[in-house]
Amino acid sequence: MKKSYLAFALCMLLTALYISCSDTDDEYVPVSPVNVDLTLVPYQKLSEYKFFEGGAMKDMVPSLNVIPYEPASSLFTDYASKKRFIWMPPGVSASFVAGNKILDFPVGTVLIKSFYYTTIQPGNVTKIIETRLMVRKEDKWHFYEYLWNDEQTDADLVSGTDFTTGGFKTITFTKPSGEEITTDYRIPSDAECFACHKINEIGTPIGVKPQNLNHSHMYGNTNKNILAKLVEQGYLDTYPANILSTVDYHDTTQPINLRLRSYLDANCSHCHQDEARCYYRPIRFPFSQTDVDSNIGICLLADEPISPTLTKVIAPGNYNKSIMHFRLSSNDESERMPLLGRTIVHDEGVQLLEEYISSLTQSCN
Amino acid sequence: MKKITLIITLLFMVQLSKAQDSCASPTAIPGPGTYTVGVINGTAPTLFCADNGAIQQAIPGGEWYIYTPTAAHTVTVSTDITANTPRTDTRVHVYTGTCDALTCFAGDDDAGADYSSVVTFNVTAGTSYIIVFDNRWLDAAHNNGFSFRLTEAPVVVPPTLPVTYNSTSLATINSTFNICVVDVDGDHKDDIVGVSNNNLRVHYQGAGGITTPTDYPVAGTHFMPNWSMAAGDYNRDGKMDFILGAGSGLSVWKSNGTSYTNITPGDYIFCQRTNFADLNDDGNLDIFSCHDIAPNCYYLNGGGTDNALTFYQSNVTPGAMKFGTIGGNYSTLFTDFDNDGDTDVFISKCSGPPCELHRNDGNGVYTDISAIAGINVTPIQTWSSAIGDFDNDGDMDVIITASSGTHKYFRNNLDTTNTTEEAFTNITAGSGWDTNTSTNIDNVTYDFDNDGFLDVLGGGNKIMYNQHNSTFAPVSYPGLMIGAIGDLNDDGFLDILNGSTIRYATPNTNKWIKVALQGVQSNRNGIGARIEIHGAWGIQIRDIRSGEGFEFMSSLNAHFGIGQATTIDQVIIRWPSGLVDTYNNVTPNQRLLVVEGATLAASAFTNGVFSVYPNPTKDVINIQLKDNLSVTLKSAAVYDLMGRVVLTTTDLDRPINVASLATGTYILSITDSNNKNYGQKFVKE
Repeated sequence: MKKSYLAFALCMLLTALYISCSDTDDEYVPVSPVNVDLTLVPYQKLSEYKFFEGGAMKDMVPSLNVIPYEPASSLFTDYASKKRFIWMPPGVSASFVAGNKILDFPVGTVLIKSFYYTTIQPGNVTKIIETRLMVRKEDKWHFYEYLWNDEQTDADLVSGTDFTTGGFKTITFTKPSGEEITTDYRIPSDAECFACHKINEIGTPIGVKPQNLNHSHMYGNTNKNILAKLVEQGYLDTYPANILSTVDYHDTTQPINLRLRSYLDANCSHCHQDEARCYYRPIRFPFSQTDVDSNIGICLLADEPISPTLTKVIAPGNYNKSIMHFRLSSNDESERMPLLGRTIVHDEGVQLLEEYISSLTQSCN
Repeated sequence: MKKITLIITLLFMVQLSKAQDSCASPTAIPGPGTYTVGVINGTAPTLFCADNGAIQQAIPGGEWYIYTPTAAHTVTVSTDITANTPRTDTRVHVYTGTCDALTCFAGDDDAGADYSSVVTFNVTAGTSYIIVFDNRWLDAAHNNGFSFRLTEAPVVVPPTLPVTYNSTSLATINSTFNICVVDVDGDHKDDIVGVSNNNLRVHYQGAGGITTPTDYPVAGTHFMPNWSMAAGDYNRDGKMDFILGAGSGLSVWKSNGTSYTNITPGDYIFCQRTNFADLNDDGNLDIFSCHDIAPNCYYLNGGGTDNALTFYQSNVTPGAMKFGTIGGNYSTLFTDFDNDGDTDVFISKCSGPPCELHRNDGNGVYTDISAIAGINVTPIQTWSSAIGDFDNDGDMDVIITASSGTHKYFRNNLDTTNTTEEAFTNITAGSGWDTNTSTNIDNVTYDFDNDGFLDVLGGGNKIMYNQHNSTFAPVSYPGLMIGAIGDLNDDGFLDILNGSTIRYATPNTNKWIKVALQGVQSNRNGIGARIEIHGAWGIQIRDIRSGEGFEFMSSLNAHFGIGQATTIDQVIIRWPSGLVDTYNNVTPNQRLLVVEGATLAASAFTNGVFSVYPNPTKDVINIQLKDNLSVTLKSAAVYDLMGRVVLTTTDLDRPINVASLATGTYILSITDSNNKNYGQKFVKE
């Protein structure tokens, strides 16, 4: 108690001094505490980066120049909530490539993503499970995994064989439906990170495409377009006005096909796109390609039929006979899609798909 | 009082109005015509002749009809008619028999357009056929009635198929995974193995066929065989052990004679195909797993009494054997491509890299000869390949069966008279594989029609039958999918397990032989052994493999068809140990049990470590270690030629007393302190 008062007083004093000493022309420039020395990264503790303001780190209040963002539609991972942030060193910025392409990030960029639940049982408490970092070094993107301690005061780097093996954390939480779920939450291994985060066998971020960021987000008390915020922050050079953009799949005011296509982009396109892990299947799920029936799988005979009567990826009007529905509804490792990142069925996603397939009237014959 | 009467009356009326909705009171179909089916709300059928199993609606229902033709016809029942526009997703079953003992006769789910049903079957005069539509696919919103048409046509005799299948569903085959057919208890008859959480369920095959299940509880947290399953007796207790391959690692269910123990080593492997194979030729079965997103992994079996497993990852663990350097490994198939007596490894690959062929050079050295062999073609997308001697010239050929894209058929040009490594020849063009557009992740080769040539079961609900000239032609079987394969009624024709359905092959007149192995010096199951049969056809070969195709575990018995031939000149078993058993003039249509060394003279066992005397013996066997050997012998077991253990001892400091054994020939198996096994035959007088 005493100490913090002292620190506060000192702080006030320094601030006062600073202000009083400055010329009228000079503006006070606050300094970001973030500490990313690429030669030393990864640090053993997440706190060492100082991405989050002092006080309770578990509140994940971003430090200066750590910018929160959120894609319009996001990946389902066993109902985990997520907070995402981006940080860049001073003086550099990302360039716009195309609406459907990852921003071209400068060396030093860090993408921060924390996975947490607000309904952990018993007690219906909030718990952060893990924070994943992608750090752009000179050579390539590096993946780092931090596991939060039970006290929620900090997160430890998962390294060595722990990272090559990955792990499980048994959690019990309540789904939005009220159902209580106990599951072995998967902490990914480095190979699993790479399985999704790669294009042409080169590591890459997935969600930070302009098409997914071209919408409003609350910054302080202001609702601001995320891309505009990044430009304002100096993190992005520029972006055009007409970006073909995904929508929030929850948004029932949007057409069902845009909602489903946004959902597929967020959940499936990292593998089912050109040069990615599952490029050899003919389906293509990037938002910019799913306006074509055969890309999204309508009437498409699957390379891998499930049964003699379950052979089409999407059977218009009949979700029972649609492999996409079968795979989204299954928890079996070898049947389910997405393959990695979930162990339970996303009820709302399945419901969205059912609504979409029921709306289709194409005849396959 | 009044009220109650009313309710009872109402109930009675409801029942009355539904009286025709049950098997006991079906609506009679007088003859050809179009009939209207109302809302499906009658008694639900429980025997399903069409695909897709039990009805999963909140209230399962059925509508029942009976049709008794006065003459023989080929009859079609169809909901793919213009009266149903748009079509309804219907399902229909056709039975014969009585309501308390119905038999499936025909059925269909989706043969018509837009998931309507069309089923055609031949009827005989005076027989009653019960036809039932169910609401498998009709939730309350879609259960609004539809029509069907029954047509009668002159009898069309179906074409003769190479072999036909008769499906039987067994409700007790209800484990979470029903993907394994293998002999579990050592009687060399194939059994059905199911895996559920903490439970192993075995339907043993007895004298009368598949029997009621036996459950073995397996304690502890374990992975499920989500991706694949393999079987082998890696601890040599005479009972089968199992590998359960999952996306984050594997578990081993190890038998202890009468019960099972779970072993989950904990190493991260994104398992795809798993196998038992003796990777380092020490006589102990090791465990292999393809890794989807990193280099392949294996566990070496330390043998002895604890069979300790040591983890290795190719290209990662120091000192690991070399099975590739990257991920994208979907299936391994262990077989001998160069006829040098050890098993090489073919790896089916997907998502970029070409397939790999790793030649076994002995002592745990594997050399990647993919480029020399010429099987490293790209682009290739395969999850499993069909590998066998398709042209019966005595070497293993490869059909890289596609999971996406096109198939590639490679002929092995092995010439053992030189030391050159011959390239395989791509003979896809004109082989029938170039025009086969069906793809599948799982592809296996067996002689399904016993004509003496290996066929292939893969995608498209069909068998690609070998036409005897390196070409293949498809024969469709509605509903046929790949599954675990074995002989589940011991009739010499291979049957297929699809979930809870057994597709029993109906025997044709072709003859066959099955060879069941019991290793002594080699691993217990003879996995890795080469079996040759010689006769009028020339030669046929099989290798014993644990883990064919992608997912399933199939019989470890070698199965050969021999067509119409009546004699088998010779059966030769080349064991992994190097021993060779030979049988002359073998009668077809039998299961030949071969205990390693059974046909060999006592003098043929040159194990290099010890000899025994006297041989023949009346009462004791003395073991004479060869000079200058630092081998310590640890334990001994004596087998009769039926493979039964008749004597065991760990006291090798004194002569082994065999006085109590019946007169006959026996095989003595001695284990050294490095858990290596040596065999020696002796005669008891």
